[in-house]
Amino acid sequence: MVYIQLPKLKRERVVVLTGREAVTISILSLVVAFIIFSGFLMLEGASPIEAYGHIFTFAFNPELGLSTTLHRGFFILFSTLAFIVPMSAGLWNIGMEGQFYLGTIGAFAIAYSFPNLHPALLIPLMLIVGALSGAGYGALAGFLRGKLNVNEVVVTLMLNNIAFWLVYLLTVGGPWAGIAESTSRPLPASAHAPIVWNIPFTSFLAIGIAVILYIFLKYSVLGYQIRVLGNSPVVAKHIGINATKITILVMAIGGAIAGLSGYHMWAGDPAFRLIPRPEAYKAIGDLTYWGILIGLICLLNSIATIPFSVFIGSIIVGSTVLVRRLRLPFGLDVLFLGVISLTFVAFQFFHHYRIKRIRRG
Amino acid sequence: MWPFIVRSLEVATILLLAAIGELLNQRSGVLNVGIEGLMLLGAASGFITAMFLGVIPGYIVGMCLGALFGLLHAFFSISLRVNQVVSGMGIWLFAMGFVTYWADRYSGPLPPGVVSIRIYGLSPIFFLAVAVVLIIWFILSKTHLGLKIRSTGENPFAAEVSGVRVIRIRYLCTIIGGALGGLAGAFLSLTYLGTWSHLPTKGLGWIALALVMFSLWRPLILLGGALLFGFVWQFAISPETIYAGIPAPLPVLRMLPFIITIILLVIISSERFRRRWWLAKPEALGVPYIKE
Repeated sequence: MVYIQLPKLKRERVVVLTGREAVTISILSLVVAFIIFSGFLMLEGASPIEAYGHIFTFAFNPELGLSTTLHRGFFILFSTLAFIVPMSAGLWNIGMEGQFYLGTIGAFAIAYSFPNLHPALLIPLMLIVGALSGAGYGALAGFLRGKLNVNEVVVTLMLNNIAFWLVYLLTVGGPWAGIAESTSRPLPASAHAPIVWNIPFTSFLAIGIAVILYIFLKYSVLGYQIRVLGNSPVVAKHIGINATKITILVMAIGGAIAGLSGYHMWAGDPAFRLIPRPEAYKAIGDLTYWGILIGLICLLNSIATIPFSVFIGSIIVGSTVLVRRLRLPFGLDVLFLGVISLTFVAFQFFHHYRIKRIRRG
Repeated sequence: MWPFIVRSLEVATILLLAAIGELLNQRSGVLNVGIEGLMLLGAASGFITAMFLGVIPGYIVGMCLGALFGLLHAFFSISLRVNQVVSGMGIWLFAMGFVTYWADRYSGPLPPGVVSIRIYGLSPIFFLAVAVVLIIWFILSKTHLGLKIRSTGENPFAAEVSGVRVIRIRYLCTIIGGALGGLAGAFLSLTYLGTWSHLPTKGLGWIALALVMFSLWRPLILLGGALLFGFVWQFAISPETIYAGIPAPLPVLRMLPFIITIILLVIISSERFRRRWWLAKPEALGVPYIKE
């Protein structure tokens, strides 16, 4: 008689997850996502291998998609960094979308008010005001959390929706309305982001911020305080860390970083240089939520998020090929992102546990 | 005036169904921030089913898909012990992609023959939603099962010791919560809108999530809150029926429900309020249960 003995499995708690393990987990989760999405591709009668080939050759071809890939990737990097800073202090910044809108409003307000300023003055001013608007919006949520003890997840979600309508108010039939229906006026030429190596210079700003954040969170006193607060609010209280101050500060820093992405997004891509229709800017705003997943997958390591963000950027840009070149139904590209998000979430399990075989003695 | 009241009661129905489901799973200790996603899935599947089979199968399918994703959230957050906020967000992101892919090709109104049943313009689902709230209130506060659910949310360890199957209760509540979220979505696309347009929920799911919080986890306050927000939401969409020539532009009005939410949250989060009224907040909300 054949007797199959299934291995007995148990789960074991992971105390410290190394960077290498985290990378393996993310790669595995991507493999699973690719397999699941292959099912959808086959359902639509496309060959998965061919489709994936198209996606990545388009996304990384310097003549076709590479600059857009990097642009979107660094946009997501801004959101990821905006998520990481508050998360290090144990706060959920789900408000990158709203902070990005506020950054957009700040930057565009400056551009429309002083269109004749020299670019060397105008562009930094736009960035600063964008960052300050985002920071203010973030700090508002931080204040409500730190001072008045209001749940930051719900507040930031509400603020996102308010910011969406704020942009709507200004663009659709508002003071910034353009000639075309429901978009804003184009940015003055002096406000266009200078392009370095085919990508807007703000991309390098994002990389710079990632490096600075890494050093700041790891080696500075304030960074240490932030991490202590994130790991244990009780300990933080005992060693005299002012939780309220830190809460407002980290949300403001997060908001400022997300605010910068407003300029990066619209002024950096030659296809835009204005605020598009509400559905279009909402679609971009929805991308900011990737910051949450990427930040957690990279264990809040801001340098590790750079390649990840660019990779997600390549999926965003590359999978548009499915619709445009392979004539597959609309929405398949966003579905791919959705599948990846789901497998990322499922594989979070392996951040805390590993499966072990029980040996029989 | 009557059409406006009906419309705002319909919004209230959507909020009620979604929020009472969320309330139930929060009382069992599981936070599901992905209700917006569950509503989208329910709305899309309900709409597509209704196009071919009629409204009532649409509701049923919407509810089932909601339950299925409630189950998925339960699996992620209870069995895999993934952070509940992350799991909810992941489901929402997936739902956005999936629904765009699946339902946007059917954009447009329902076929002419497919109409919801209405009594004086009011859908019977409204009464169903109120009944569900009352039933859940009754279960939670008057029955043995409710005691089990509440104890699971308060202190799962103590509950387990006294013989409550924590995992089973949490699964059950999360699935029911998902089903009600799906039903809310189906109601949105089939009765309230009657058409499909790109991502139709427009933040109603987030409002429902906040509603649970400032109902202080009490079903009867939730009932009042949903009626209030149904009114505010509908007022923002068609203010002229109540107040012709209102000076505020449309986007400002659309912000209103969200601004009111934040104000209410600030009020209920104050120390005084917290001490007196937050007794129903599940202590173990959002904390995965790890059996030793």
